[in-house]
Amino acid sequence: MVELALQFIVNGLVTGAFYALSGLGLTLIFGIMKVVNFAHGEFYMLGGMLGYYFAGVVGLDYYLTIVIVVAAMGAFGWLVERGLIRPLRSKEILTTALATIGLSIFLVNTTLVVAGSTPQRIPTPFPSKPILLGPIVLNEARIFAVAIGAVAIFTAHLLIRRTELGRAMRATFQQREAAALVGIDVERVYGITFALGTAMAALSGVLLCSIFAAQPTVGDLISLKSFVVVILGGMGSFAGAVVGGLLLGVAESLWGGFFATGYQDLVGFVFVILILLLRPQGLFKTEVARV
Amino acid sequence: MRRGEDLTLLGLFAAAILVPLAITDDYLMHLLIMACFYALLASSLNLVVGYLGELSLGHTAFLGIGAYSSALATMQLGLPFWAAMLLAGLFAAVGGLVIGYLTLRLEGAYFVIVTLSFAQVLRLLANNWVGLTNGPMGVSGIVPPRFGPLVLESKHAFYYLGLALAALGIAAVRFYVQSNLGRAAVAVRENRNVAHSVGIDPFTVGLITFVLAAFLAGIAGAFYGHYITFVGPEIFGFGFMASMLIMVLAGGQGTLVGPILGALLVTLLQEYLRAAQEIRLSLFGALLMLLVLVMPRGLAGLAQSLRRAG
Repeated sequence: MVELALQFIVNGLVTGAFYALSGLGLTLIFGIMKVVNFAHGEFYMLGGMLGYYFAGVVGLDYYLTIVIVVAAMGAFGWLVERGLIRPLRSKEILTTALATIGLSIFLVNTTLVVAGSTPQRIPTPFPSKPILLGPIVLNEARIFAVAIGAVAIFTAHLLIRRTELGRAMRATFQQREAAALVGIDVERVYGITFALGTAMAALSGVLLCSIFAAQPTVGDLISLKSFVVVILGGMGSFAGAVVGGLLLGVAESLWGGFFATGYQDLVGFVFVILILLLRPQGLFKTEVARV
Repeated sequence: MRRGEDLTLLGLFAAAILVPLAITDDYLMHLLIMACFYALLASSLNLVVGYLGELSLGHTAFLGIGAYSSALATMQLGLPFWAAMLLAGLFAAVGGLVIGYLTLRLEGAYFVIVTLSFAQVLRLLANNWVGLTNGPMGVSGIVPPRFGPLVLESKHAFYYLGLALAALGIAAVRFYVQSNLGRAAVAVRENRNVAHSVGIDPFTVGLITFVLAAFLAGIAGAFYGHYITFVGPEIFGFGFMASMLIMVLAGGQGTLVGPILGALLVTLLQEYLRAAQEIRLSLFGALLMLLVLVMPRGLAGLAQSLRRAG
């Protein structure tokens, strides 16, 4: 029983790491830029699908594939910000939500048409032989994926906290006019932030789809769970998103394992409902949501 | 302005009564029946999105509660259709009360996500609680509505029932819009704090609006279940939600005529695009993006601007 619980927890930490990574991407876009991006799950999905295409169909090297996917999706994110988000920036937040819903529908269905609905696994150079840590089963692919994810999270943290660009980002999202007044190119910051968020979602997608399978329809749930992670952690809080992601992963795994797998996705929704009712500022923030 | 809108509504209603008398094609009638259903459903969503100004992505919760309630009431409890339908509306309204009470204090984006979460929770419950809902297999073979000795079986019969329900629903919405409550809701939509400062309680106004919208959606759900004769968990899904949204947006949110136009447009569009079945949904997504960017006030808004310019 205990071994089972431990295995569930470790599995949950693995998926949780990717929820965290994707959630971080959305923290940038939703928590900081305040854009309600319903296409976030689709960015994740495209990361996975492109990963399959380059590594599986074209046959490129796995590591190179990851780099290409992240770069390509980052560029795509920048274009989306330019074409869809920027024109609506002066409108209310919900107009942008509707636009991203449209984008989400468009991306899912176009991908379905182009790639079909069969789940595809991204081929990795790692052997699928299991590694045993006591009673817990792991394999190289999972360890690698989590490691890369952790590196990405840490890099993003350094970027925001220690670089000039990071300072510009924080300034812009705190007080846009003031940031513009001191000479920050605000439009550029928006574009880069959105691109970064998209790239993180895509990275999460390509990594997770190396372990599980890539499929055009995973996006919807991932979007929602990313929102859960952001809200759980507290909007705009990096540490919160990481903890929130891991927490969600572990909770889902335990619930699904011990209770019923059909109800697994319920966990995230229940979490978000409870958090918004009981502690809307999330686990890590101190401001409150509304009157 | 108001007179113009009333005339348009009456004109549409008259056309809706007369035109089908000349139609004999069952398929075309099916489209018109679905248009009536969607007109009612879109109008109910319009109450929340257009008049109250909140983007609720969980409206399918009420649609689904209504559909399942009505289906189970007739199949398991043997209730007559009209009773089952009212029960459906009631349950949906209670759902609206509960969900609204829990969510309406939340800010815009949070409200969006938590309402969506509720709908998803219901979908998961419907999919897994096999004892109650028959799980993914759903409730099938739902008996057609009967009013005393009269059993509804023909397309025309269903159509006029649907039209009656839609007309009553839209009349209710019109009554609401022109009442103090409706005006208060618009005030809240335009500026919550200012509304509050003149004595309007945004929460109460929101809650009443929400419950009314839920009731109407529940009625629509009941009609849907009895017409299609099948209700499954996907009724809580995002597909219906997206359709509803596009109708409200394309037709023109915050207007009475808008949802009707939107329902007609989207129902016909869905059929027209049936030939391109695979890319139909992609086009939907693209259309939604385009609408938001180019025509945010929808067809009704376009008509208004033309009238003002001309």
